[in-house]
Amino acid sequence: MKFSVSKDKLLEGLSTVQNVVSTRTTLPILSNVLLQAVEGELRLTTTDLDVGVRGRVEAHVERTGATTLPARRLFSIVRELPAAEIYAEVDTKNLASIRSGSSYFKILGLPEEEFPPLARFENAKEFSIAQKDLKDALRKTSYAISTDETRYVLNGILFSFKENKLTAVATDGRRLALVDLELEFPRSQEIDVIVPTKAVLELQRLVKEEGDVKVSIGENQIAFELNDALLVSKLIEGNYPNYRQVIPAEAKERITLEREVFLNAVRRVSLLASEKSNSVKLIFSKGNMDIVAVTPDVGEGKESLPVMYKGKDFSIAFNPEFLMAPLRNLPNDEVFLDLIDEMSPGVIKIHGAFLYVLMPMRLS
Amino acid sequence: MPRKIVHLDMDCFYAAIEVRDHPELAGKPVAVGGARDRRGVLTTCNYEAREFGVRSAMPTFQALQKCPHLIVMPTRFDVYRRESTKIRDILMKFSPVIEPLSLDEAFLDLSDHPGETSATVTVIRQLIWQKTRLTASAGIAPNKMLAKIASDWKKPNGQFEIRPEDISEFMVELPVRRLWGIGPKSAQRLAELGVNTCGDLQRYSRVELIEQFGKFGLELFSLCRGIDERPVEPDRIRKSLSSERTFPSDLTSLAQCEAKIPELFEEVMSDLKKSGATDQVKSAFIKIRFSDFTRTTVERAGLSLTVENFQALLRQGLSRKSLNVRLLGLGVRFHEPDSEGATQLELQM
Repeated sequence: MKFSVSKDKLLEGLSTVQNVVSTRTTLPILSNVLLQAVEGELRLTTTDLDVGVRGRVEAHVERTGATTLPARRLFSIVRELPAAEIYAEVDTKNLASIRSGSSYFKILGLPEEEFPPLARFENAKEFSIAQKDLKDALRKTSYAISTDETRYVLNGILFSFKENKLTAVATDGRRLALVDLELEFPRSQEIDVIVPTKAVLELQRLVKEEGDVKVSIGENQIAFELNDALLVSKLIEGNYPNYRQVIPAEAKERITLEREVFLNAVRRVSLLASEKSNSVKLIFSKGNMDIVAVTPDVGEGKESLPVMYKGKDFSIAFNPEFLMAPLRNLPNDEVFLDLIDEMSPGVIKIHGAFLYVLMPMRLS
Repeated sequence: MPRKIVHLDMDCFYAAIEVRDHPELAGKPVAVGGARDRRGVLTTCNYEAREFGVRSAMPTFQALQKCPHLIVMPTRFDVYRRESTKIRDILMKFSPVIEPLSLDEAFLDLSDHPGETSATVTVIRQLIWQKTRLTASAGIAPNKMLAKIASDWKKPNGQFEIRPEDISEFMVELPVRRLWGIGPKSAQRLAELGVNTCGDLQRYSRVELIEQFGKFGLELFSLCRGIDERPVEPDRIRKSLSSERTFPSDLTSLAQCEAKIPELFEEVMSDLKKSGATDQVKSAFIKIRFSDFTRTTVERAGLSLTVENFQALLRQGLSRKSLNVRLLGLGVRFHEPDSEGATQLELQM
């Protein structure tokens, strides 16, 4: 194969796919990027067997063909090349010669046939979602994904396509973030799938503000086609827990807060939250909310915020990280904190189809 | 003001329930526990059986050697628990400060209950009899240790009170082995020093006791004088909850072991629901004792509580040794609130 390509475009293409490449792998081929030169373009593919990404860049192809080259190494070489245009030629023994300006590199690759193919999708269920909406949904939920490997069904985001809605849910068993998106599709398309964390992270890198993403769901696989890229991932097998039952039906108290003010106050106070208990207490009295953190033998932090509160005096404790995570990832100026009592979950809501359920901490 | 602590102890609780529910057993030696073949162990026995030298925790085969016509009934924990709840409900009417030690034993702090304590305790025992047709014995004293000793004094179906002014005299004669924390070994060590009663022990100074017993010596110094400041703790924090079985003959295959999990699982889940601490579970564990008596425990935090997950833990444990299995246990451990007492609650999914 033989082609020439602009350095910037190749660099962009490689950076799209190289995150998937695992640094430590027992299969050398998985460290490589598959390069396929076809009519007018160069296709780049990487995979770790669970997640695969394919991108393409415009190229001047003199001779079609394919090979695989070490992805990280190729990326660092391309990044340093001196000229704007890169000329590459690969012989039948997968030895790549790369020229750019005064530079000349030879890299030994592995044959194309050894590269595991990305999953094929037959009889897949297909959906089309605005990238902007998907990006928003991922941002508002992904921070709540569990990292506890023993609860593997929670190591991803649930995508529930039901009743003309896509519901995205993430939870770690202590807090739960949920976004609803309106989406039209026939009843026969309804399905629940769990997309693993790694695919979620890759997808977040790929989604832009414009255009749509085509989602295909096949037997235990999901594919996202967007812009010039394709992301394919295995799904997490298993049943997602019944998340609906943890959402409180109604709140006793609703406190309206300015998101940034609340976030900043919690962040400051949490400086004095002890490492051990890692909690901040919200103390409500008429017209006021105190946010308090205490570390025995160190000191305490406190902020007072005026709030519309008319109920009886009451306090509830939360992990400050869990309280701040949604506040950091919401764009809204105003958030609502719905509470029942000090042992029941609190709910953060906005004007819009989002909610965040957070279990309090019990203080003895 | 001296406290008024009651130790309530049901008389041969499990055996008494079995005799109550099977009237034809009345007057006969009855025990409750594992089956008579090889490995069963008795949980309780009635007084008729005790006359033959049968004791609780005695292997069934040994009990049968001592008392060949002993009737061994299988355990019915659901029934025992139900009766235990009835009794606890009665106690709740008199004081909220109850510390259950097991299904058939509890401490009760009646310091704030008006009236003569021994009369109140008589009423409690009568109510228990009316509601359950079971008899209870009770000890009344200014502290837990003495109340526990006292409940044994007039057993069965009796009560005994140690008044503050009687303590000194009572302690002088009390054998040291009756003290909390003095087992057969310590008792023997004390006997070698010529110490048989608490009165003997009182002659030793704090320093001497610490030299002999380490930190426990300090406690002994108080205990042998009848001093015990420990409060009755209504919500003593449970660290774990579990259920286990010793099998009549060793289990020889994975399938056999796996088949035992659902039953143990049900028991633990049922207890867990009753305890109301479902949201406090930190980890799940499986305990295995192999035929060579070595044991292993596989514990995993954050695991959702399902039969399948416990079976997965079991497989992991069994892979550690290729030996037959003598005992299987299944349980959950709770979050321990740290010194600052903050615990993250879990969503109920």
